[in-house]
Amino acid sequence: MKNFSNKYIFLYISALVILIAVVLSVVSIGLKPLREANVQAEKCQQILYAAGYHDVDRKQSVVLFSKVAEKMQGADNQEVYRIRCADGVDGYAFSLEGKGLWGPIWGYAVTNIDGTILKGVAFDHKSETPGLGAKITEEDFLNSFKGKCLYDKDGRFVSVRVLKPGTSNDVDAENRVDAISGATLTSKGVDNMLMEGLQNIKK
Amino acid sequence: MKKYLGPLSKDNPVLVQTLGVCSALAVTAQLKPAVVMALSVTVVCACSNLIISLMRNTIPPRVRIIVQLLVVSFFVILVDQVLQAVLYDVSKMLSVFVGLIITNCIIMGRLEAFALSHKPLPSLIDGVMNGLGYGLVLVVVAFFRELLGSGTLWNHPVVPQSWYAAGYMNNGLMILPPMALILVGVMIWAKGGDKSS
Repeated sequence: MKNFSNKYIFLYISALVILIAVVLSVVSIGLKPLREANVQAEKCQQILYAAGYHDVDRKQSVVLFSKVAEKMQGADNQEVYRIRCADGVDGYAFSLEGKGLWGPIWGYAVTNIDGTILKGVAFDHKSETPGLGAKITEEDFLNSFKGKCLYDKDGRFVSVRVLKPGTSNDVDAENRVDAISGATLTSKGVDNMLMEGLQNIKK
Repeated sequence: MKKYLGPLSKDNPVLVQTLGVCSALAVTAQLKPAVVMALSVTVVCACSNLIISLMRNTIPPRVRIIVQLLVVSFFVILVDQVLQAVLYDVSKMLSVFVGLIITNCIIMGRLEAFALSHKPLPSLIDGVMNGLGYGLVLVVVAFFRELLGSGTLWNHPVVPQSWYAAGYMNNGLMILPPMALILVGVMIWAKGGDKSS
């Protein structure tokens, strides 16, 4: 086995690290516009999905979004859009942020113009378990939010709760949806996210 | 040629060497992420095997693990960045698991056991074969987990609606990680019965 001097080892590792850092930086900067365009387009696609425009190609979503949506002044850092929904009626889209089991979850909720009824939602996540928590992005779960009330019979704001079937029976059917079985903590995260993200509607 | 086919069966990295089991449990709830993960690992394993093999005579043995780590993480970050820019949907599906390829012991294992002492071309083939051997197990496990756990394959429903009407239910345990461990265990056991190895 060859003997390598300390100087050689030191220079070898330094050169390798610098080379890799430079190449990766160049790649990262070079691909940045593509990555950001992807993220932006996906956001448009999600808001459109929540507003009832399903099956919009990601590429077309940016164009369609700029036609139907208009940015509004939101509280704190919340993004709010006034949006012409797929059924032709105006509504508001609110951005949502929350915590899942493994990482952040986020999404958009579209309400009617009075801010009392959910017209649709779209969720996404960074790293929930495929087949369990990741199911929050699936159509069956998202559809269960459609037409749910944000206020209870007495006119109090209660948000739409995500609860295990058969528990908390004091919450009315129009104020709740079924949690995903096997994904208790992710469901709870969605529950909190809706509660926090939609309470500004009251104003 | 025969010695390169070892990873697919006789010398399978997951079933015989029991390497890379953790990611085999994590990404196999559905078929699609499992296939993409298998391909990503194959690409990273093959590329880093090739590069380490090209560098093998210049690498000081005392810091070889550090050099291997650098090369592997370089390719993993590269794969991740390219996926994010070009195959955005796929990169989202794999999320953190792409980054975790760095910790996949199969890759470090092949660099240490093969690439450091062999010429570039054999190293490249060895990397591809080991990636495929790993991927094979992933796909088999994911096939059964998705079929029995969700009644779908590649997100298409395959269990007929009439079965559900007749009382058939998806096995919820299948999509949980413990069942992946049991499935991999059963495969290792079945493999171990092969006396010819």
